[in-house]
Amino acid sequence: MPASSTHRPPVNRDVPLVRRQALEGPYVLLTFRHPEVAAGARAGQFVMIKANTVSDPILRRPFSVMRVDPSEGAFTLFLKIVGPGSHALAELRTGEEAGCLGPLGQPFTAPPEDQEAVFVAGGYGIAPFVLFGEELGRAGRRARAFYGGRTAADLQLCDAFDGLGVPLVCATDDGSFGHRGRVTEAVAAHLDTRPGPVTLYGCGPDAMLHAVARLAERRGVPAQVSVDPWMGCGLGTCLGCVVPIRRPGEARPKYHCACTEGPVFDARDVVWP
Amino acid sequence: MRLGVELGGLRLKNPLIAASGTFGYGVEYEGILDLSLLGGVVSKGLYLEPRDGCPVPRIVETPSGLLNAIGLQGIGIRAFVRDVLPRLARYETALIVNVCGDTVEEYAEVARIADVPGVAALEVNISCPNVKKGGIAFGGDPRMTHEVVSAVRKATRLPVIPKLSPNVTDVSVFARVCEEAGADALSCINTLLGLAIDVERRVPRLAFGTGGLSGPAIRPIAVRMAWQAARAVRIPVIGIGGITSTEDALEFLVAGCRAVQVGTANFVDPGIYARILAGFESYLQRHRLESIGEVVGSLRFPDGEAPGGPGA
Repeated sequence: MPASSTHRPPVNRDVPLVRRQALEGPYVLLTFRHPEVAAGARAGQFVMIKANTVSDPILRRPFSVMRVDPSEGAFTLFLKIVGPGSHALAELRTGEEAGCLGPLGQPFTAPPEDQEAVFVAGGYGIAPFVLFGEELGRAGRRARAFYGGRTAADLQLCDAFDGLGVPLVCATDDGSFGHRGRVTEAVAAHLDTRPGPVTLYGCGPDAMLHAVARLAERRGVPAQVSVDPWMGCGLGTCLGCVVPIRRPGEARPKYHCACTEGPVFDARDVVWP
Repeated sequence: MRLGVELGGLRLKNPLIAASGTFGYGVEYEGILDLSLLGGVVSKGLYLEPRDGCPVPRIVETPSGLLNAIGLQGIGIRAFVRDVLPRLARYETALIVNVCGDTVEEYAEVARIADVPGVAALEVNISCPNVKKGGIAFGGDPRMTHEVVSAVRKATRLPVIPKLSPNVTDVSVFARVCEEAGADALSCINTLLGLAIDVERRVPRLAFGTGGLSGPAIRPIAVRMAWQAARAVRIPVIGIGGITSTEDALEFLVAGCRAVQVGTANFVDPGIYARILAGFESYLQRHRLESIGEVVGSLRFPDGEAPGGPGA
């Protein structure tokens, strides 16, 4: 059953594509009209969405909400085309519709007032941090972003924090842009500068999230990670997206639905493979 | 009522039921759709005790299908009766409990506990392919099927609806066995046993290994098996398998099913019930029919004779 939530209930609708902005390579920004997501989505929450133009694959896909515009009643997704589901979405023309349910899931929790939020994004995991940066900026909180990928072409949203007062450090495995190496190495270097109390926030591949969890544990700092398992329904009914979670005081891990109890979890509670 | 159906002592306002394992315990959809739209809701499979289910990955998509091995993760029948049932009381829909067990005795005990006000019927899960005990181990053997259905029959006054497995040679044999054992209706079918392989790593794509296939990929098989079951028995049959539209649902009704269950499509679009119900109304108008019951079993074969084959 879904965790009790004070957030607005998700709304299911057919949503027209408002804008499509192709980026380099397999990346694209898609804006859809969905007033409830636009008004209610918080950073870390997601939508289940599928192009109505195709019947196969049958399931909707989860995507983090990257940006909302309540006045336009629209939200934006940052998409990497990896398979037929994302391909069909990216092929939509303006005005064509997708089936969409949202906003879903538990958002990131802002750090205590005196703390800096440190975003650690891998590839398309940058998406929820754009919204988070805006939220924290409005609340007068400090944030800093670390953005990693295999190569320069994977870092398509380097300008997303412009004007938000969120310093950005980039890292690529091949050194083609920014720091050469893992993004978590750049985060570790930042922590070495004794920046004061911080909370780490991770969104990206599992290996990166695990590295964020290890780093947080070693440095004794809190961390929240947004997981991205295969997901069927988004509502906690198919039980396909469960993650083993062991909360303090529990003898053994229990399966929790990433869709309703996550996707954001305390990094200490996640039982890594 | 034009869309009302009678199902072995169970009256439904319409023939649309949410299938077990695809609709949680119903409460997950509160606020997203009006549960009172549905003719009925079948709960996730319930044992006596809570269950953890299978390791991950548990789901994988295949062409027009979904392969799953969830393994009946669930809260157990007592928690359902205590915590969930009161929350569902306000909705005008028939609540059907999906009864599971590792043993015949457990099925009977779950059935006894589920026999409380607010529960309209029991569906007997003798067909889950993703558990090592129970499930298909009972539904794949006519003698065990008879034993489980008889035991549940004795344990309750509620309508008893065994859910049949498609992973058998002749489904009509199992349909007749269930009727003899006192079943009031039949659910046809559960998922088809499948295997998807990651060829790079040369391992199954599901952690459990095999899984149950659902979705539009299985619909023609499901329609055929529901048709065979409906011809084999006098008790009503509920058709299940890959329904995503009004037309899909009508296929099962025309084949002889009194009602249908929507499964995998619940994951895709919670708006499906309103859409199918509107489609039923326009179909009745277009064909100048008074009630949906007139559609049931109206299948005609061109030469007036059904093809042969197992169970035909």
